[in-house]
Amino acid sequence: MALTLDIVTPERRVLSVACDEVRAPGVQGGFGIRTRHTAFMTALEPGRLTYVEGGREHHFAIGGGFLQVADDKVIVLADTAEAAVDIDVDRARRALTDAQDRLKKLTEDAHNYREESARVRRAAARLGVAAK
Amino acid sequence: MPSLRDIRNRITSVKSTRQITKAMKMVAAAKLRRAQDAILRTRPYAQLLDKALTRVAARAIADEAAVHPLLAPRQQKVAEVVVITSDRGLAGGFNSNIIRRTQRFLTESGDRFERIELATIGRKAKDFLRARKLEVRKDFLGVHQGLTYEKAEAIAQEYVQRYLAGEVDAVHLCYNEFKSAIAQTPVVVQLLPIEPPASEAAATIDFLYEPSREALLAELLPRHVAMQVWRALLESAASEHGARMSAMESATKNAEEMIAALTLQYNRARQAYVTKELMEIVGGAEALK
Repeated sequence: MALTLDIVTPERRVLSVACDEVRAPGVQGGFGIRTRHTAFMTALEPGRLTYVEGGREHHFAIGGGFLQVADDKVIVLADTAEAAVDIDVDRARRALTDAQDRLKKLTEDAHNYREESARVRRAAARLGVAAK
Repeated sequence: MPSLRDIRNRITSVKSTRQITKAMKMVAAAKLRRAQDAILRTRPYAQLLDKALTRVAARAIADEAAVHPLLAPRQQKVAEVVVITSDRGLAGGFNSNIIRRTQRFLTESGDRFERIELATIGRKAKDFLRARKLEVRKDFLGVHQGLTYEKAEAIAQEYVQRYLAGEVDAVHLCYNEFKSAIAQTPVVVQLLPIEPPASEAAATIDFLYEPSREALLAELLPRHVAMQVWRALLESAASEHGARMSAMESATKNAEEMIAALTLQYNRARQAYVTKELMEIVGGAEALK
C-alpha cells in the first residue's frame, strides 16, 4: 500500500484511500499507476476508474476530468464520480436512452451538441461500470 | 380607545405572526447549516483545481504567443452582468442590496464598455430589474431549486462559448458573498476573461502532460469558470438563508415587544373597566341610602 488516491468532485470529496494500483481512462487510452510512477498529469475520458487494494478491485464511474500523480499521490479531479455499487442500473439505462434521444434531435453544429454528446458518453460510462 | 376585544384580537394576530417568523427562522437556520456545508465540501476540488491551473498556466502565460483566449483580455466592448438573487423574499436587504450594487456597477462602469447587458439568476432579480425598466438579455430560471453543479456548469459553458464566439467581451457576476450568518456583502466579480493566476516560483516537479500542456489548459479553464459560477451560487444560497435568519430573528423580537406592549394596554384597559364598574356599583349603593 504505497499509493494514496483522492477523488474529488466540485460537489464533494468522494474518496480518500491507500491502495496498490490505480487504472484510469485517459484521453489517449487507459493506463495504470503503481508506486514510483513519474510525475504526470492527464485529462480523463468518461469511463471506469479502478483501484486495487489488497487484491480487491473497486470500480468508479468517472464523468471526465483530470488525474495527476506525483510522489505516489494520485489525485483525481472528476466532474462526477460514483462508486459502481451505488449506481442503479435501471436508472442508468434510462438516462442513457434519454440522452441518446436528445442527441439524435440535434445537428452536429447545434450549440449544445458537444454538451449533449458528452452527456451520452457519461451515461454510457456509468452504465458500463454499473453492469460489471 | 380600542375596546378590550379589539386589543385581544390584535394580540392573537401578532402571536400567530410571531409563530410564523419563528418557524421561518428555524427553517432558515437549518438550511443555512446545509448551505455552509456545501461550500466547505467544494474546497478540496477548488484548491486542487487552482493548483493544477497555476502549474499548467505558468509557462503558457510566460509564452505570450500561445495565451489561451479565455486568459487574454481584449478590447472590451460588450460586457454582461449576471445578477444573482434568491427566488423568495422575506430575507431583509438580501435582494435589494444586490440590485443596488448592480445599479452602482452600471453607473460606474458605463464608460468602460460600449454596452452592458444583463442576465438574471433568481426570480427576484428578474422581477426587480423588470420593475426598473432595465432590459434583460436572459433569465436563467429554476436554478436555485435543486441546485447542482451541473446547472452551474451549463451556465458557465454558455458564457465560455459566447465569449469565444466574440459575442461578449467581459462577464461579471453580482452576488452576495457569504461572510458569516449575519454578514453578507454584495460583490461584483469578473468571470471572464479569467484573471491569469499569479505565476508561482518555478515548479519543483517536472510534470509529464498528456495530451499536452495547451490541451490540458483548454480543459482546465472552462472548469475554473464553472467552479466560480458554482461558488457564487452556493455563497448566494448561504447568504440568503443567513439574511433570512437574521430578518426573521428581528421580526420575532419585534412581535414579542408588540405583544408585551399590547398586553400592558389590555391590562390597563381591563383595570379601568373594573374600576369603572366598581364606581358605578358604589355610586348606585350610595344613591339607595
